[in-house]
Amino acid sequence: MKKSNLILGLAGVLILISLIAWGYQINKGLIVTNMRNPFSWGLYIATFAFFVGVAAGGLIISSSVYLFNIEKLKPFTRIASLSAFASILGAGAMIFPDMGRVDRVWNIFVYPNFKSPLVWDVVVISAYLLITFLSVYVQLLPDWKKEGRGFLNGWTKSHPQEYVEAFSKKWSKRVALVGLPVAILIHTVTALIFATQESRGWWNTAVLPPDFVSVAIASGTAFVLVIALLAVGKDQFEQYKEAFQRMALIVAGALVVHFFFVSVDLLIHGWWGSPEGKEVLSLIFSHYGFLYGTELLLPAFTMVFFLTKKGKNSFNALIIGSLLLFIGVFAHRLMLMYPAFNSIPLTLAIPGAGIESWAYPVAIGQLQEGVPVFVSSWAYTPSLVEYAVALLPFGLLVFVVTLALKMYNYVPQK
Amino acid sequence: MRLGMVIDLDRCIGCRSCAVACKSHNAQPPGTWWNRVFTPGASFHQAAVGKDGALQMESLPVSCQMCDNPACQKVCPSGATYTDEQGVVLIDYERCIGCRYCIAACPYGVRQYNWEDPKKAKERVGYEKGYEYGYPEDFRDKDGRLVFTPNRPVGVVEKCTFCAQYTSQGEEPACVRGCPGKVRLFGDLDDPNSEVSKLIKKRQPIRLKEELGTSPKVFYLAPAKPIR
Repeated sequence: MKKSNLILGLAGVLILISLIAWGYQINKGLIVTNMRNPFSWGLYIATFAFFVGVAAGGLIISSSVYLFNIEKLKPFTRIASLSAFASILGAGAMIFPDMGRVDRVWNIFVYPNFKSPLVWDVVVISAYLLITFLSVYVQLLPDWKKEGRGFLNGWTKSHPQEYVEAFSKKWSKRVALVGLPVAILIHTVTALIFATQESRGWWNTAVLPPDFVSVAIASGTAFVLVIALLAVGKDQFEQYKEAFQRMALIVAGALVVHFFFVSVDLLIHGWWGSPEGKEVLSLIFSHYGFLYGTELLLPAFTMVFFLTKKGKNSFNALIIGSLLLFIGVFAHRLMLMYPAFNSIPLTLAIPGAGIESWAYPVAIGQLQEGVPVFVSSWAYTPSLVEYAVALLPFGLLVFVVTLALKMYNYVPQK
Repeated sequence: MRLGMVIDLDRCIGCRSCAVACKSHNAQPPGTWWNRVFTPGASFHQAAVGKDGALQMESLPVSCQMCDNPACQKVCPSGATYTDEQGVVLIDYERCIGCRYCIAACPYGVRQYNWEDPKKAKERVGYEKGYEYGYPEDFRDKDGRLVFTPNRPVGVVEKCTFCAQYTSQGEEPACVRGCPGKVRLFGDLDDPNSEVSKLIKKRQPIRLKEELGTSPKVFYLAPAKPIR
């Protein structure tokens, strides 16, 4: 009990720090970030994409219980739904600080442009937020009835416990089955925001949406795994071991698919040998080699580790493998930005001078001593304010999950 | 009416007068340039490039290409970017939510963001106090949408409007008028007898990044002077 209060307090501090930083940013403008015209999306969008990714787990776990009859995972459908709700809430919250005019965001609803993948994303993410909430709600109804508490459940008073149990069972299944395609869609559409842009070679590939789905299945399931492990604790590990191993297997399997997509993608970027392709490869392997190495090697380790006996047989191994995966997936989200923005779309060949690719400089949008106004690449590293603001989804997620776990029982006792 | 521009690279001397005229007429904040001129291939403007002793130095002005298939407009979630009845791609400064998707989408790097309040930016940089440059009033299109204001709101995207405040009065954009070499021609692409239409027919113009299918309404006449 005390421990959870401490965690809630810490999460509250994270949220507070980010809100203060966000307030400062609203006052000064996005000049307090290190984004500029040539590099116009950074840590915020990467963090958003990361949280969309971990939000997948919930409905993938709960719907696979019903679709593939994986009974062993059944005790964790509540935790899965809760983790999905908390992550998508975090993802949604992360978007707002990235808007220069957050006071006008309602314009998206009043004057939506349905050609914009961003509008599609608003629709599917809102739907997912609602579905994951409903999923948690219907699963908790029987407990609430029994214990005489909960919220939005006044209507269950006039029904017997058996009715509520049956209702919960029926609707948990329905919500999970409706939710699965929406879970797939949030990744597909988030990827489409990038993949539709023919001006950015790094993004403009049809493999991006399926790859987002595979990474989401891996990181989303790993996220449910971590929360389930923490909720169950080391003492009860053996009791649920098979469920944890099953989740580890899903993570590893999804990563196998992910690496297949990555290989095909790299091959297609490189094979033709165009200056654009060469530039992207040189950016990812040399200029941003460390980050790209993190993106590749950590998840690769987790994939192999989770396929071994050692990797999936202990509490600690599963936690470590999952954490390494999260770092790798976060690097993956950051690497969406670096090669895309630092390969300037307007490049020209000047055959007379023997130049195959020359980038037309972009105005950065700020006049400052010692910084050129026109640049062909922008060495973006997030500013302190950006790091602080980006704590928002982390704080929200920890807060919501901890509070919910503290208030209600998420691991039904047999 | 479809407004378009022809830029005759044979005549361009790279003096950047158009960039300066554009900058001051449109009251662009420090560090923001709707119109740029660079020497393709060179890391500095007006540095010659070449090999084997054969040097060349062309200049290439680039501002909004006024695409008929504008990616920036398609990605805009709130419809702040739109094409008016003359084919000019404009931004409603009161509608823009500052998501910057359009900056990611534009292949030409012409879209620019107000990272800070322009007034504060001018002050910070040390522009003379009280010195205001550019067209002094707001300009709204016929539907009342704010497409020009001397000091843009913080957090919105801006770019070339073909000088909507002037062209709506039948005048030419500042870059066209300010060019000492008469490099730029401005007119109606739908009118077969306009000077721009005639040149486009006669001179086989180039459009930037044509392979992306953006269908720009800014046409370039390739420099014809041979290097021997």
